[in-house]
Amino acid sequence: MSSQPLPAPAPAAPAPPAKGRRFGLRARPSSLSGFLFVLPALVVLVIFLIYPAYYTTRRTLYEGAFHFGFFHYLGIDNFKELLTNDKDFLDLSKFPPGGALINNLRWLIFYISLSLLIGLGLAVLAVRVRYERFVKTAIFLPMAISAVAVGIIWLLVYSPNPDIGILNSLLRGGGLHTQSWLGNPSLVNYALIFAYIWASVGFVMVVLSAAIKGLPADVLEAARVDGANEWQIFRRIMFPLLSLPISVVTIWLFINVIKVFDIIYVMTGGGPGTSSRVIAFTMYEETFQNGRPGYGAAVAVIMLVLIAPVMILNVRRFRSEKVVA
Amino acid sequence: MKRRRPFIALFVLLALVVAAVTATAISAKPAKRNANSIEVLSLWGGSEKDAFLKVTAAFTKATGINVQYTAARDFIPDIRTRLAAGNPPDIGILPRPGYIGTLAKQGALKQLSSLGLSNAYMKANYTPGWLALGSSGGKLYGVPAKANSKSVIWYKPQSFKKYHFKIPKTWNQLLAITKAYKAKGLVPWSVGAGPSQSQWTLTDWFENIYARTAGPAKYQRLFTGKLPFTDPSVANAARIMTQIINNKYVLNGVQGVLGQSFVGGIGDVFGTSPKAQLYFEGGFVGGIALQQVNTALKPGKTIADFPWPTIKPSLDHPVVGAADFAAAFKSSPEVTQFLKYISTKAAGTIWVSTGAVNSPNKRVSGSAYPNVLARAEAHQLATAKTFLFDGSDLLPGAFGDTWGFALQDVIQHPGNIKSILSDFQNKIKGQF
Repeated sequence: MSSQPLPAPAPAAPAPPAKGRRFGLRARPSSLSGFLFVLPALVVLVIFLIYPAYYTTRRTLYEGAFHFGFFHYLGIDNFKELLTNDKDFLDLSKFPPGGALINNLRWLIFYISLSLLIGLGLAVLAVRVRYERFVKTAIFLPMAISAVAVGIIWLLVYSPNPDIGILNSLLRGGGLHTQSWLGNPSLVNYALIFAYIWASVGFVMVVLSAAIKGLPADVLEAARVDGANEWQIFRRIMFPLLSLPISVVTIWLFINVIKVFDIIYVMTGGGPGTSSRVIAFTMYEETFQNGRPGYGAAVAVIMLVLIAPVMILNVRRFRSEKVVA
Repeated sequence: MKRRRPFIALFVLLALVVAAVTATAISAKPAKRNANSIEVLSLWGGSEKDAFLKVTAAFTKATGINVQYTAARDFIPDIRTRLAAGNPPDIGILPRPGYIGTLAKQGALKQLSSLGLSNAYMKANYTPGWLALGSSGGKLYGVPAKANSKSVIWYKPQSFKKYHFKIPKTWNQLLAITKAYKAKGLVPWSVGAGPSQSQWTLTDWFENIYARTAGPAKYQRLFTGKLPFTDPSVANAARIMTQIINNKYVLNGVQGVLGQSFVGGIGDVFGTSPKAQLYFEGGFVGGIALQQVNTALKPGKTIADFPWPTIKPSLDHPVVGAADFAAAFKSSPEVTQFLKYISTKAAGTIWVSTGAVNSPNKRVSGSAYPNVLARAEAHQLATAKTFLFDGSDLLPGAFGDTWGFALQDVIQHPGNIKSILSDFQNKIKGQF
């Protein structure tokens, strides 16, 4: 992305001091030093990002051998197989459709919207309670736990044994049938999503609550003086002013969804069967478990294609933000 | 500005040199391992790992060679990545003969004879059946390290006594006990085949039933790719499996099965607040139950096992079992010494005295086993008329897991058995 076409340099004769993003290989000697400054970062990027991305993309065209070499050229067969013939990845033959891609879509819808909703609600409410710091710390705490530990905690919460699983013990206490949260293919994805929301809602809350605190007090004051009630203030003033932090958080959540892996690996291993696989998990499973590096690379490239537009959007937004500032 | 140019050129040169050095450093071969130490990678944890560490401690004491033990629960990805990086462990302990074949074909394993463990030496310590499983293409790669029977069912002797149940000899008798438990308001079975990665218990259910309904010959052909999974015998065995694994007879129904782990299922039956009466899995259940689940259990009174009953009388009861094999990725005198050591009677005796494992070594005597459960298992293995290796472990690569996923599907949708099996057959076709 660093090689994006750059805006043409200003025609004015005395060039302004070169800004970081204005460098170019064809630039005048005076900006050569600027280039040199970014060179180390560029070298690192090329070694650790651009080259691996190229390598992975090239690998999608091959079947691949166990040492990840370019072996047995297939053309785009990997993609064809993945998108049309792999029921574990995309299965449109039944309703509701299934497969890792659809599961990821489920994650996208429920994880992002619920995290935002709960996070925003908590942020708005947390500011109003006396024990704000305590409440916030408690809600933020799961953020500090590694995803593996989160998985293990929720494995216990969801345990089918009501003496271990708190959820089933509640159901039993209420005289209801216990549920196998992770053993039921139609529940497992939501159970995983909920566990992950628990782990990330704290971050959403902290970011939004900081943004709320930064809102100009006089505007809110003026609205109150004009007789707006609290809901109107939230709906008409706070919410529009919070649109930037909300979109930043949304992008963060989006990226989380596309790369979600650890919690699934720990809690279900993609199962029962393959019903809780997502894209990132499929990539791992195909590359390392099933030993199909080319096929796994194809999954990785699809993942990249899905994330890239959002990243570009994100970078754009940061730029425009700079201009505003 | 212009005067700075030589300086800049120098800087660029320096940067390039640094980059080049880094690149060579990255591509350079990994540092040579400590001459007097070897690395052994295996998926053993808990009681199995402790037992192995006792053996390696004795080895270090005898030879002065240190053993670095690396545990990799998910061993296939671990070995794959380390091979791809050119940095495999010295020795890997592989639970799947199918995977030994896969690795041997890639040229990743060293032949035992090239390491100084001659065929005659191996034959003196192991029966031909074991050696065949550690071989690929007629060449010997794996030293059988530990073995387990998977043809035992775990029950509570006190409960059997209370209800006047006899040890079932046939499948129908087992079903009768299942129904009797149910009629008394008890949950007959617990099955742990769910998160995370416990689907293999279902493959063991299937294998025992298949061996008893289709016979050893078909069993061998099915799991070595010579008989398709669409053969009617497969669907038949899968259907028999659902006579017990269904919503009626297992704890929390089929979805309870998919939500429970292998160890969790043992806890359902033998834990401190048990909920079910019977559990099926291999001989290793004993060690886990006694050491990890409930230390108050009394072998022979509150926990014991009986052999899998026969289904077709003519086919008797073949023993399905599994074993782990030690195979070398590198050759060195230390590796040879280690493989030689673990194949001795002395090492086998230390190993089995822990009660956690059985030794496939024919020179280890029965009296070395510490309790009645371990001894019974050793006896079953030693006297089996027909021994069949765990079929899912014979499948190539990671298909053992995929087969487990298919069986998870089978118990949820017993009406779709045919299409589930043909989907699986399509996946595995051409993989042997």
